[in-house]
Amino acid sequence: MDTPMGQPAMAAPQEIRVNFTTSSPDLQLPEDRNLKRYGLSRILNSSSMLDTPSPIPLDFLINGEFLRTSLQEYLAANGLNAEETLNIQYVRSLIPPVHQASFEHDDWISGVDVLSTTSSAGRWSGDKLALNQDRIVSSSYDGVLQIWDPSGKCMARSSAGGHTASAKAVKFLSSTQIASAGLDRTVRIWKYAESDGGLQATLKPSLELYGHKASVDALDVHGPTGRVLSASADGAIGLWSTSKSSSPAAPAGLLPGAGASESKKRKLSGASAAPQRGALSMMPVHNTPATAVCFDPTDATVAYSASQDHTIRTLDLTTSKVENVITTSHPLLALTPLQRNPGTASSSVLLAAATAARHITLVDPRVSASTTSVLTLRGHKNMVSSLAAGPDNDYSLVSGAYDGTCRIWDLRSVRAGTKAEGSGSVSESVYVIERESLKNSKQRRTAGDVSGRGAKVFGVAWDKTFGIVSGGEDKMVQINRGQDLLASS
Amino acid sequence: MGSAKPNLKRKASNIEANGAAAVATLHADRQDSGSDDSGDEDFDGLLEGVLDGDDESESEYDRSADEEDDSEDELASEDIPTDNEVEEDEGKSALTNGASPKNEDDRPNYRIEKDANGGVRYVYDEIDPVYDSDDTDAQGPVNTIGNIPLSFYDSYPHIGYDINGKKILRPATGEALDSLLDSIELPEGWTGLTDPETGKPLNLSRDELELLKRVQMKEVPEEGYDMYPDTVEWYTSQVEQFPLSAAPEPKRRFVPSKHEAKRVMKLVKAIREGRILPYKPPEEREKEQQEEEEVQYDLWADEVPRPPDVMHIPAPKLAPPGYDLSYNPPPEYLPTNAEKKAWEETDPEDREKAYLPQKYDSLRRTPAYDQFVKERFERCLDLYLAPRVRKNRLNIDPLSMLPKLPRPEELRPFPTVASIEFAGHEGRVRSVAIDSSGQWLASGGDDGTVRVWGLSDGKQQWQAKLSSEDPVDAVRWRPGQDALILSAAVGEDIYLMIPSTMDPELELASRAVLDAGFGYASNAKQQTTATGARKDPPAKWARPGARLEDEGVLLKATVRSPVKVINWHRRGDFFCTVSPTGQRSAVAIHTLSKHLTQIPFRKLPGGAPQTASFHPSRPLFFVATQRTIRCYDLQRQELVKTVQPGCRWISSFDIHPGGDHLIAGSYDRRLLWHDLEMSIRPYKTLRFHEQAIRSVKFHPGSYPLFADCSDDGTLQIFHSKVVNDLLEGPTITPVKSLSGHRVVSKLGVTDIAWHPHHPWIVSASADVKVPQPADCRSGTNTTHEYKMLRLVVA
Repeated sequence: MDTPMGQPAMAAPQEIRVNFTTSSPDLQLPEDRNLKRYGLSRILNSSSMLDTPSPIPLDFLINGEFLRTSLQEYLAANGLNAEETLNIQYVRSLIPPVHQASFEHDDWISGVDVLSTTSSAGRWSGDKLALNQDRIVSSSYDGVLQIWDPSGKCMARSSAGGHTASAKAVKFLSSTQIASAGLDRTVRIWKYAESDGGLQATLKPSLELYGHKASVDALDVHGPTGRVLSASADGAIGLWSTSKSSSPAAPAGLLPGAGASESKKRKLSGASAAPQRGALSMMPVHNTPATAVCFDPTDATVAYSASQDHTIRTLDLTTSKVENVITTSHPLLALTPLQRNPGTASSSVLLAAATAARHITLVDPRVSASTTSVLTLRGHKNMVSSLAAGPDNDYSLVSGAYDGTCRIWDLRSVRAGTKAEGSGSVSESVYVIERESLKNSKQRRTAGDVSGRGAKVFGVAWDKTFGIVSGGEDKMVQINRGQDLLASS
Repeated sequence: MGSAKPNLKRKASNIEANGAAAVATLHADRQDSGSDDSGDEDFDGLLEGVLDGDDESESEYDRSADEEDDSEDELASEDIPTDNEVEEDEGKSALTNGASPKNEDDRPNYRIEKDANGGVRYVYDEIDPVYDSDDTDAQGPVNTIGNIPLSFYDSYPHIGYDINGKKILRPATGEALDSLLDSIELPEGWTGLTDPETGKPLNLSRDELELLKRVQMKEVPEEGYDMYPDTVEWYTSQVEQFPLSAAPEPKRRFVPSKHEAKRVMKLVKAIREGRILPYKPPEEREKEQQEEEEVQYDLWADEVPRPPDVMHIPAPKLAPPGYDLSYNPPPEYLPTNAEKKAWEETDPEDREKAYLPQKYDSLRRTPAYDQFVKERFERCLDLYLAPRVRKNRLNIDPLSMLPKLPRPEELRPFPTVASIEFAGHEGRVRSVAIDSSGQWLASGGDDGTVRVWGLSDGKQQWQAKLSSEDPVDAVRWRPGQDALILSAAVGEDIYLMIPSTMDPELELASRAVLDAGFGYASNAKQQTTATGARKDPPAKWARPGARLEDEGVLLKATVRSPVKVINWHRRGDFFCTVSPTGQRSAVAIHTLSKHLTQIPFRKLPGGAPQTASFHPSRPLFFVATQRTIRCYDLQRQELVKTVQPGCRWISSFDIHPGGDHLIAGSYDRRLLWHDLEMSIRPYKTLRFHEQAIRSVKFHPGSYPLFADCSDDGTLQIFHSKVVNDLLEGPTITPVKSLSGHRVVSKLGVTDIAWHPHHPWIVSASADVKVPQPADCRSGTNTTHEYKMLRLVVA
């Protein structure tokens, strides 16, 4: 829905011809306007152009790059002369992700997830989701899960029957079900119940799922089918059911206390209360630790798994077979699907994979794809540990990394990579969210320091309601405003 | 004219006097000859006539006699008073001299005269060679006018000059009567010719006439010469058949002569020494000598004209002279006084021109050029010193001389960025190890604890305090994925433990591995010494105690001296320990499955062992002492080779996973790469560190990397391409120097460990770090000193 307008505008003493275009239908310019000499935003917000009741902050994209300098400087930097006509796309301005709140944990936070009307879990629960039941769940390295309400109040805390070692990942299945995984090689399903209009809440284990032989590091859930996927350090991908009845029995050798000393066994057996079940299928697809797994957003029978062996594998869950193997050049640590053009015929899935080599690579998982690596997002200074797609559109992405930052990426802003970067298309982050805990501290930082020391980000989630929720080594759940970060309709 | 007349007269009389007899004979001849009086006849006729009168004049008439007579006459005429004629006087004195022999006894043969200065001067008389004198040349007065026609003197009274410069007077030419008389009586030997020298009639003597006659007769000119004498056979023409002597041939004729040999040798020696040179014609020899004496150097003697070329520079040419060099330059070229003064004041070397233009009135007045020699000399210098050929300087980029190493960017991946810090130790960390699955990192340090961390998140998952006094010197994982067993050395104790990783199956398997040896230990026979006393076993294997057992430390082996190094065999059943201070039991090999400790070396040459290791694939065992690394075959129990890195004190070494190469680090800052197949000397010595190297490690997996760590606080990562080609050595490229660890009390990075699958490395240091984020947030600002480990990833 471009609106080419051949109108001269003056950003400097020089006259430059620009074409304003936008893809936002609500910001369409009325046709046939004859305007001169105003700042670009003021031009567009003036009553003669967009004629909005209140000024809308706008940002301008020229050739896929955000305009951060004056037009004059842009022209000079790109070697353009004033006689060429610029195509300027205007979008709603990106408001920086302002820090909103931080909730403190007892130990390092390994994963976070949100429940809200706009989150996937909220959508899956549908009507069961009570009004204003917006919750955050966080898993911690001490094995504890905590449920928070937006004000920072701890609604519930898993005490008994929880993980015996660090919890590594947590996801809302619905408003009443939570799945978590941890170093104790289990995937646990929790029943979360609220009463008294959200004043009282309980978190009880409903199922213990055994089958992995090493730490379970990542989870993905699919609410409607009640399926849970897990990725473990033994290289296996597990497919689990949340229903007690449909799950097979747990393998005896993997139950807690099987190999432990007598005293330990006694201690552990006392703690176990929930029923123990096994996996629907266990797919040993990787040789090295599997680090991430996710459902295909369109098809719940297809999953993608990433591993430290540099590969992304497409799994058919019905047959438990590997359908496609994509090899990258670095160990992968996180994976998230990005759905392009949802709901249309050209809908496709793009996978964003976080690497240990400090960048995020976007991969086309289709077998037919000619180039697998579509885009590289560079900017992190340390291993990228977690990823979350933006809720508003298909081109925003947030990543958390060991360098103590979350970075927001706009996949529209693309430049050609230099040779040192291995060429290809490269994008750079739009915003950087620092850890609030680091901002407060008065540490001296030296050049040789490990970036993000003491503030590694392990988990990040992006929801329309909450914004960007992240947790990490500083034991804090940090919430940053996430709405309209990247302009969208 | 008055003087000339009497002279003529006298001459005539003179001739009359001396020629009286001759005239008479000539007349007689003339009569015989008849008609031959004109004097212009054929020579034949003339000679005939002369020859006719031969006989008569033969006896009394010959030239010398005639001359003698003549002088006799003149002597007689001395008495005749004559006029004052100079010639006469002189002739008189000469005659006096000629007559002197008569009075020889009476007078001295000299006169005393006064010379121009008044001094005495002895004047000797001229010697008159008499007839029997030896002087054959003295032939009377000889005309000295040379070979010119006598007709030149026709107008003069004389016909020439004698040897004394005196005029030879023309003989009186007789009148017609005289000539008539002459024609009547021809003198003997008359020829009718005139002697051109004397102007007198040429008469021939009888001998001469005889000679001529013989020549005419074609006879032998000399009388009595026998043209055909009898042959005198000096050498017989006929060959003698028999020797003159019947004596046998003497022996010396067949024996080489010693004397001759001696002479020959003398000559040979002289030739050899160069005293005798082969003959050369004198002119050639002269030429050679000249050549030797004058050696001329011509720089461009063999120069050939060549086409114009950039690389060729012709000899510099002198500039052609300009107007100012003229002897009479135009006035504008003449220097003014100021210019002249300025020229004189400047240093000769700084002058623009070496001369001042000068004006001379004419070319004749131009003096010799005083600068000529100097100018020629400088011109020679110019020619000699000026470069003639453009020589290309050796245009080599010094960088190109360096060996071609690939750029580090092409050798990715290798560790570059520090990613995770493992914080928790309360003292310096002495040793680190990563388990074979790559998930767990174990570390041990001065606080006596062994800690196990999750490698990918940096979270400490397990910890055991093994000792409150002694530091943990070494931690090593048992290789193999079937069990997860960690070994640690604290003082004399070696602890074997199973860190809890929430894996019951693995824990069970590990427990079984550790407990398997208890049966053997109890059944083993106690060794006894020669005296029968119970011998102390090299190590005691036991449970470490209930407290540690609860934490997962399940086994303890105590040896005799503090253990500093543990290294496992690849199968996970054997491990070796090194205690440098233990004299005889310094190196021990432990068998885990039997709880058995063996001491392979009773006595180890080369001083205290530093470290020891098993070969990655073959049954070889390497022990490093201070200066050498010894390789033993465990099956045959013998020394295979001694590697000599050439450093002073080896700190650690590691064997390439391929098994053919070895790197050793030393406290004297050297890193040495050895090709075990090639030599006992290092293939390459790398000195990049400023301080002692503490540890060297090869990447155990598929990455061709190795690293070392040093007390200067840095790690260095090397890329090493090892090929199987025997002709090509390994290519070692330093790719990265990692700093970041601080040096505390001269201790930098103490140990390193590679990730088994990824190009990641963990380094341990004695680094002091101040803050912990949690403390800062709570505002207490307490400063924790904790030592740390770092993971560096690609």
